[in-house]
Amino acid sequence: MSAVTLRQLLCGLLLLVAGYSAQAGESLTPLPGGKPAPDFELVDTDGKLHRLSDYRGKTVILNFWATWCPPCREEIPSMNRAWRQLAKEDVVMLAVNMGEDEDTIFVFTADYPAEFPLLLDRDGSVIAQWPVKGLPTTYIIAPDGSIAYRAIGGRNWDDSDIMDILRALQKQRQGAG
Amino acid sequence: MHINLPAANLPSPRRHPGNRMLHPQPAVSLMTIRNLCVLLLLLLAGTPLAAEIARSADEETGLRKWHLAEGKLEVELVQRLPDQTRGFFMARGFSPAIADEIAVSCIFQTIIRNTGTQADAVAVSVDLAQWRVIRADGEQGVRLKEPWMASWPENSVGEASRLAFQWALFPTQQEFLADDYNWGMTAFGLPPGAVFDLDLVWQEDGTMHTTRIAALECAPDVERLQ
Repeated sequence: MSAVTLRQLLCGLLLLVAGYSAQAGESLTPLPGGKPAPDFELVDTDGKLHRLSDYRGKTVILNFWATWCPPCREEIPSMNRAWRQLAKEDVVMLAVNMGEDEDTIFVFTADYPAEFPLLLDRDGSVIAQWPVKGLPTTYIIAPDGSIAYRAIGGRNWDDSDIMDILRALQKQRQGAG
Repeated sequence: MHINLPAANLPSPRRHPGNRMLHPQPAVSLMTIRNLCVLLLLLLAGTPLAAEIARSADEETGLRKWHLAEGKLEVELVQRLPDQTRGFFMARGFSPAIADEIAVSCIFQTIIRNTGTQADAVAVSVDLAQWRVIRADGEQGVRLKEPWMASWPENSVGEASRLAFQWALFPTQQEFLADDYNWGMTAFGLPPGAVFDLDLVWQEDGTMHTTRIAALECAPDVERLQ
């Protein structure tokens, strides 16, 4: 076997591993059992009230975060890209900030633009109703109001595998409706 | 992921010194290619690797970090300068005295990840209460956030500050499924500059494992490491 062929073989294998690693990178954990999502009411940074149960019939991406949390910051650009695609498809994205005020979030969004609603859980009373251990944690709520998936830690939200999961959930609803 | 190839199989410029000019050798030998192929195929098959512990330092800040990879568990412990921690908590409304108490408690930024895939369906869980901090003069547990928060006198720490502390410190217990990870501060309860071994305990697929990381160093109380 010539050196050139060996190098080509090695490069091929490396590309295969790189592709495998990238493919294995983004996933959501399915939560079987259809546990109902705890309802809540929170205002966003524009003062608009959001009640989770008002979004029944839509898939909801519910993200818990804080400005000082490095993986939260890292995933916000991909959340925004995903939101731009999914908003037209009746998928809702709500990002619940943990304990910070409007001014802190306003300054933060100058560097990390977010077009989806940023909700204020100033006293931590909403996050306390959810089984969140660390930030960021994200739940995907099915259109019937049950918790369908969970992600602990940041994700690349506009990854095609994740987008497929979100669209499939929404389509189930449209198929049922 | 770190792969340690056997040194004997690495291409060496000292091999075949006499005939290099007459019979040029390929840059990568056939043996090395075979070994690399085997390793790559093992990676593709998802074969678990033995414990690997690596220590490195950030070129810019000098902060040291320790990285452990074993089975589906990946742990990274990164020094935090006391000044970083002081600044973080004072910016969130803590009094200088309490912020300082936290800052000089040997804080490491801790990142724990389950490197498995959905197909593995293997859970990794940690309970910081099981970790042991070992020094020549004895051993102790990790300083956990729950008793720490309970120790603050009433009204000494505001609600927003408590929330920041609660969410900034690593959870005492947490389970990680495929691709899950978390970041948080872990306090080892030793003075700045102290050196210790850490018995890191975790469960993978219900089986308990312990790995010792030797000679961890709490960051000294300076503005910047050299």
